Amino acid sequence: MAFENASAGQEPRATARGSLFAHRIEQKTILSAVVGLILAVLVLPPLYFLVVGAVSVEEGAQTRYTLERFVMLLSQRGILISTWNSFVFAIGSALLSLLIGGLAAWLVERTNAPLKSVTYLTNVVALGTPYVLYTSAWLLLLARSGPINTWYRQLTGETGVIINVYGMGGMILIEGLLWSPLVFLLLGATLRNFNPALEEAARMSGATTWGTIRRVTLPLSMPAILALSMLVFIRTIEAFEVPALVGLPGRVHVLTTDIYEMMHRTMPPDIGSASALSLILLFIVGALLFWYGRLTRNAEKFATVTGKSFRPNQIDLGAWRPLAGFALAFYFFLLIVLPAFILVWASLLPFYQTFRSQAFPLLTLDNYRAILNSPRYISLVVNTLLIGFVSASVVMLLTAVSAWLTVRKAPGARVLDNLGTAPLVFPGIVLGVGVMQFFLQVPVGIYGTVWIIVWALVINYLPYGVRYSYAGMIQLHRELEEAAAASGATPLTGFRRIVFPLLAPSLIAGWLFIFLLATRALSLPVLLSGPSSQTMAVAMFDLWGNGQGPELAALGLMWSLSMTCIAVVFYLVARRGGGLQRA
Amino acid sequence: MKAALNMLAIALTAVLASLAPAAAADPALIAAAKKEGQLTWYTTQIVNQFARPAAEAFQKKYGIRVNYIRADSNEVTLRIQNEGKAGRVQADVFDGTGATAALKNNNLVAKYIPQSADRLPAQFKDKDGYWVATNLYVLTPAFNTELVEKGTQPKTFQDLLDPKWRGKMAWNSSVTPSGGAGFVGVVLAHMGEEKGMAYLRQFSGQKITGLQVAARQVLDQVIAGEYSIALNMFNNHAVISAAKGAPVEWIAMEPALGVFSCLSLTAGAPNPNAGKLFMDFLMSEEGQKLYRDADYLPVDPAVQPKDPALRPGEKTFPAIFMTPEQVFDNLPKWGAIYKDVFR
Repeated sequence: MAFENASAGQEPRATARGSLFAHRIEQKTILSAVVGLILAVLVLPPLYFLVVGAVSVEEGAQTRYTLERFVMLLSQRGILISTWNSFVFAIGSALLSLLIGGLAAWLVERTNAPLKSVTYLTNVVALGTPYVLYTSAWLLLLARSGPINTWYRQLTGETGVIINVYGMGGMILIEGLLWSPLVFLLLGATLRNFNPALEEAARMSGATTWGTIRRVTLPLSMPAILALSMLVFIRTIEAFEVPALVGLPGRVHVLTTDIYEMMHRTMPPDIGSASALSLILLFIVGALLFWYGRLTRNAEKFATVTGKSFRPNQIDLGAWRPLAGFALAFYFFLLIVLPAFILVWASLLPFYQTFRSQAFPLLTLDNYRAILNSPRYISLVVNTLLIGFVSASVVMLLTAVSAWLTVRKAPGARVLDNLGTAPLVFPGIVLGVGVMQFFLQVPVGIYGTVWIIVWALVINYLPYGVRYSYAGMIQLHRELEEAAAASGATPLTGFRRIVFPLLAPSLIAGWLFIFLLATRALSLPVLLSGPSSQTMAVAMFDLWGNGQGPELAALGLMWSLSMTCIAVVFYLVARRGGGLQRA
Repeated sequence: MKAALNMLAIALTAVLASLAPAAAADPALIAAAKKEGQLTWYTTQIVNQFARPAAEAFQKKYGIRVNYIRADSNEVTLRIQNEGKAGRVQADVFDGTGATAALKNNNLVAKYIPQSADRLPAQFKDKDGYWVATNLYVLTPAFNTELVEKGTQPKTFQDLLDPKWRGKMAWNSSVTPSGGAGFVGVVLAHMGEEKGMAYLRQFSGQKITGLQVAARQVLDQVIAGEYSIALNMFNNHAVISAAKGAPVEWIAMEPALGVFSCLSLTAGAPNPNAGKLFMDFLMSEEGQKLYRDADYLPVDPAVQPKDPALRPGEKTFPAIFMTPEQVFDNLPKWGAIYKDVFR
């Protein structure tokens, strides 16, 4: 959304040649229409069916249209509390993740702190781990019977708890930890590309290190930090895993869990109210995104990234260096060691209990055996990888063509761009309700198959694809295509033989990013998966709810290990292509 | 004359069928089921305790794959309703405590009682033919034996009002018999509307934690020490875990709530024959023994549960029984009261 105007200044300069290429321009027009149609078919129906679902009331054979559901929802105390909770939760998590991830990023990118590679590894592993697994791990750690509270009781003789995780505090803590790695990766990119000239000037004028940070580095990074916090804020408003697993037992409701409960926990499911509440949430997110767009547009004035080649200088921490090392070690400990430790422990138990010596005789490999012997888990792996692969490929293909048409000012380019970025306003759970409504009303036989999930995920990740493709595309000058055209190639051939290969690094980075997101997505598949289309994250969510924590731990460990390998590839590709900036 | 002969033939067939060994399913059904090769089972049974072993045993016997999905009764209902709406029913067989009654109204349940259920008492079969009961659930509280000293556990509904249990009890917050809603139901049935409501309002002061998870997971959290007492959970689950060394014991609350787990065939099932054969298998003596071996309470009077004390009766403890129709008709009301009083 932030780059809508970025392609200005690339006006077609050939006028006389225009007529010569008339039939080729026509080809672009057709292509533009086709891509636009595909995007419209993807993006518009869920919205339409949400609106219809929200305002129509069936009374026998008659259908009545009314706004009463909105009135009812907005006058309900429960919904207002949920809205308030959503905001508190999102603000808290955004601040916490910014603090943790931001500090780690600054230490790694701008100082001579030790343990940098360990910190990179931490974030890459976190990128490949489903949130639902992370959340259950921290729940095991922080619960009343978890090691922390148990040791507290043993040390003090108290009978209560030192941390009650099932509440707003616990939700913010866990969500904040979940988002820290992404903050690290995104902010790290900004800090890495920082022009040191101003900082040097400050220091030469006699400013201290701290003074430089406070008066130069921080204000200059402010737009990036603000934009990033806005992004995390929006994403946590839409979050589902933590509110479902942590909030609901603690009776803290947010908007996403309210929607989920309307769909799943009332008999019969109240799809009308769920649609109406979805639209309310959609409106909130839309307003925030509009603001976010304004914020990032102004950010261009703060040109911290220029074409000049430079390497930002690193601050010598001096005596503080061991402390910084300790902080990064703690980050690693918090995000990897602790969750991994409790998951390994849980995975070896026949039934879950806290870490204590009495449980040692019970340790068993049965959970691993059960998973490896169950054909069901093979189909989970196949489904998840298939969904990830197809969604990522479709998104990148669609957005590559659409970005090309947009940048080259094909007819209707503006519409393509807007359609591609519009799904940003859909929280996963809202999109799930919309897509479900669509396929319930238009029975084409993909309901309950993997394809409905792919369909929904493609919509969900279109904006990410647009970002990667567009950012890659604006770097390509049109003279290469003109050379191709002069040699007799059609625009489509030019795209296929010239643009596409040159775009490849951006496309691969985007593909991997979407693949990783798709394979761990929960809020969409949880609404849409059928008996033969379960995904890994849904299975983990079910295992947790069905009382199979130990099996969940074993499954999660094995899965995360394999996804980490893919995340490492992503990281290497993205680092080379600078793709992380666009994530 | 011809008609009389036909009648005789039918009667004879019936007699012969009843004499045939119980284990043998109809060969024509087996052949048709094998042709389909697989079936989909939406189940409320806990996967590692029953669903997975049962699916594996069936597959071993007939070579027919069972795709199972575990969810609670509400979600099973919702999924099949949606599949019906989308014109693509995917479930062949489903079970649950109230799902059949709900789905019957959407014309999504086929009438089918497997032959193997012929030997069972009438109370375990729907008179209209929509469901058969596979096993009995007994819903009572359970407690963590490390946190609550044996002998001091609450034994009556009045005991549960003791302030020392405040904040230490949990239940499943979904609208299902195996959760807070079921607790509401048994209290109302036991004490009557007026007294029952008064009791529930008083009880809500005990700050019971509602967990959005299966009753099995509520019990697991009690075992882990997260809460001291799990309310309205399946008494056999406590026995299963205790056998593995878990510090847990169930309480014969007087009365307990008894409900059937009912098995039905969907209307429009993609693999109807495999579905029928699977139902036949679960209701056969062999299938009923699977329930017993998993420490469940089979309905077959000839298959005694491993722990007879789990089954309510004159010699053990009293329970209030509810048919699937009663459960279905009352559940929305219990759910509403639950929401009103406890949330």
